[in-house]
Amino acid sequence: MALLKDNAAITEAAVEALVARFDEPGWLAEERRAALRSYQATPFPTNRDEVWRYTQLERFAIDGLDLVDGPRDASVADRIGMRIEDSDAEAAMVVKNGAVVYRVGEVPGRGAADGRGVVFTDLRTALRDHEPLVREHLYGVVNATMSKAAALDAALWTNGTFLYVPRDVEVALPLGTFTTADRGGLSAGRTLIVVDRNAKVTFVDEYTSDALPGRLAHHAATEIVLKDGAKLRYVSLQNWSREVVQHNKIRARLARDARLESLTVSLGGDAARAEVEVRLEGPGAESEMLGLYFADEGQHYNQYTVQHHATDHAMSDLLFKGALRDASTAVYSGVIVVDPGAQKTDAYQTNRNLLLDAASEAVSIPQLEIQANDVRCSHGSTTGPVPDDQRFYLMSRGLRPEVAEHVLVTGFLYEVMSRVTLPKVAEYVERVVQAKLGVPGVKEKL
Amino acid sequence: MADLLPQDAHPDAAKLQGMAHTEQYGYYMAENYAFRSEKGLTKRVVEQISYHKNEPEWMLKFRLRALEIAEKKGRPKWGPDLSHLNFDEIYFYIRPQDQKGTNSWDDVPEEVRETYRRLGIPEAEQKMLAGVGAQYESEMVYHNLKEEWEKKGVIFLDSDTGLQEHPELFKEHFATVIPPEDNYFAAVNSAVWSGGSFVYVPAGVEIDVPLQAYFLINAQSMGQFERTLIIGEPGSKFHYIEGCTAPTYNSDSFHSGVIEIIVKERANVRYSTIQNWSHNVYNLVTQRAIVHRRASMGWLDGNLGSKVTMKYPSTYLVGEGAHGEVLSIAFATDGQHQDAGAKVIHAAPNTTSSVVSKSISKGTGRSSYRGLVQIHEGATNARSNVECDALLLDEFAKTDTYPYIEINEKTAHVGHEATVSKLNDEQIFYLMSRGLPADAAMALIVRGFLDPVAKELPLEYAVELNRLIELEMEGSVG
Repeated sequence: MALLKDNAAITEAAVEALVARFDEPGWLAEERRAALRSYQATPFPTNRDEVWRYTQLERFAIDGLDLVDGPRDASVADRIGMRIEDSDAEAAMVVKNGAVVYRVGEVPGRGAADGRGVVFTDLRTALRDHEPLVREHLYGVVNATMSKAAALDAALWTNGTFLYVPRDVEVALPLGTFTTADRGGLSAGRTLIVVDRNAKVTFVDEYTSDALPGRLAHHAATEIVLKDGAKLRYVSLQNWSREVVQHNKIRARLARDARLESLTVSLGGDAARAEVEVRLEGPGAESEMLGLYFADEGQHYNQYTVQHHATDHAMSDLLFKGALRDASTAVYSGVIVVDPGAQKTDAYQTNRNLLLDAASEAVSIPQLEIQANDVRCSHGSTTGPVPDDQRFYLMSRGLRPEVAEHVLVTGFLYEVMSRVTLPKVAEYVERVVQAKLGVPGVKEKL
Repeated sequence: MADLLPQDAHPDAAKLQGMAHTEQYGYYMAENYAFRSEKGLTKRVVEQISYHKNEPEWMLKFRLRALEIAEKKGRPKWGPDLSHLNFDEIYFYIRPQDQKGTNSWDDVPEEVRETYRRLGIPEAEQKMLAGVGAQYESEMVYHNLKEEWEKKGVIFLDSDTGLQEHPELFKEHFATVIPPEDNYFAAVNSAVWSGGSFVYVPAGVEIDVPLQAYFLINAQSMGQFERTLIIGEPGSKFHYIEGCTAPTYNSDSFHSGVIEIIVKERANVRYSTIQNWSHNVYNLVTQRAIVHRRASMGWLDGNLGSKVTMKYPSTYLVGEGAHGEVLSIAFATDGQHQDAGAKVIHAAPNTTSSVVSKSISKGTGRSSYRGLVQIHEGATNARSNVECDALLLDEFAKTDTYPYIEINEKTAHVGHEATVSKLNDEQIFYLMSRGLPADAAMALIVRGFLDPVAKELPLEYAVELNRLIELEMEGSVG
């Protein structure tokens, strides 16, 4: 059994250096110190821990990596430049190894002094300009007590996104942050999204990079607060280069009548773990949770989901689909939790895996923990190859076998993307999938 | 519960007043035993058991090794709460009488005979069974196999006698399916096992009526550790049924059986069990079958009684074309936790399996489905389907589903589906508008929910199941 070893650079001194370097307020310094204590008190997970049972732990090792403290230069990689150029986003930001290297676009009322306008900026700037807002919400959804990795992020995050949408404001076009890197090491970023009553916004968190000179272990934490009637479409798109391992905890709290439409995509990196949790706290809250993963060339993906119904009359609907080839492995494990008294819950959970070669392995653990009776809950899971009859049909129409497979795999994953009303994101994901499939003429770079 | 009168002790006793089968629950007899080990699980207890059984040296060594493994392993850290199960309070071995098991009903001591008479066993044997075994506390007290099957070479004995009379055959297969290293409770069982059935069906023999064993715990704070070994030679076909029951005491009892089944080429074995332990028995059982080429194994697992049950019949499909099937029903009422499920391991090409689980939770009861489907690389064209349906009868009932699915083979087709629902008000309204009282309407719907599994049961079990459901449903309205 692989045992993870600690990183010698994760110390009190490292936390104090971070606090001093950014001249952080006292409350934040205290939070970081407490998080570090929590980190030190929590053992590393082992395969004997149920939620880490199928994880190839050694691939998430962090020992021996330097803490990343900024990019080598402020250039923006072509792959990001082209993505921004091609996007329909209203505003975007590029955070490279913790530093903002590019901003584009304006959000109406951005940075208004009274805090009533939309705030879309990096966490560093937000701490300076909107400290009360950040203080009110930071660590409110993802905190250091949740796991070793969450503690690491809480203690050592350097920068990330802060998005606040005030009451009744609807931001029509998407906003997005590209998190990238130009060197290896150990890094931690954070996203904090607060959507106030009856406001509406779309946000895309994209993780990507060109090939890196060394191994990068990136930790991400995403906190989402949706107040009464708030609506958010949130996309987390991971397409790191193959030197990167990522651990991402995405967690949302939904108040009355709030709606979250989330999509978690894993395509890049060497190994990636996404923990996606929603807590439905107000009646009428709705959460659509979509996931898509395509592992090739030995990639290892973990997706852990929680649909926690802490209130009555809420709805959650989850669909995670994945394809695997070239001796890759993927784990989907999700649980629907219905608290006592959470009557009239509607909760659904579906995981489907497509195995494209014999050396790949898919693990699927869809779970239910139901403590109320007047509920509609179901889950389903299927794993199998590309159906022979479908392949046969396409071949009978003149498609070569490999083309038929490309069509069927793309179609299989398209079910997820068809539910996301973000054409540019859908197009990009489809292109990356096709490049991974080796469809002639498609370059992954784009 | 200070009052130990049996009629008063059972939580359902009040409901039972005036019903024809009151005596069904009054079978508790005076404790009367020839030997009882000291409480607790120690090396001395293990040695005593082996000594009393006059066992060969290798078995004593095996027991002691298993004890060491158990001590090293420790209890599982997952699953239901076992913190109230205190081994220091448990008698690990009780020998009910001074003579060995018998095949003449008249030789069975009167109080034991009386108990089994109330369970309806002698009649069932005469009418529809090929053979019957009865275990009282730690030992089999009665075993009988009809002559026609004995002539064909069928062996149906208790495991202790099996070890004495067929040492080679026993040793060859014993602990090959479930070694003590497998899990903590299998290790405990391996150290202190006593009784259980030893079934051997020679090649090509088809037994058209079931073999049946009944397990009964009568003493307080008793631990029962039956060890069943079933061998189906190539082409054989038979059905083994086990029933378990215990009267209600106010101290917890502990039942931890190990059931090993070997299904050789083209054999067809069915194993059915319905446990109706009283609601203070910890029922932690390891059941496993190895299924060879073109053979078929069917499990029917019913969990109605006990305080906590952990039981996941598992099927290892190791030969090409092997087939496994599990039907599981669980009914958890107040204070019960039924943690049941199934495991199917596909380790050969063209293997198929199906799991159907139906669970019902009522009051503060909690029923969990915990399962595993594993498809190994090279097990081409394996197919497996799992369906779990849970029915929640009232607002505090709980249900969980934990299906693990591990696929390492491209050509595998694996599906899993689960649904959770409550009693449908419209259906109840309809039945009531046709004149049924509310509880009868509910019982009817519950029976309908269980029907796909219940119809696979032997008749007397289906009748018993229906009666239990009616009993549990009574008074659930208003």
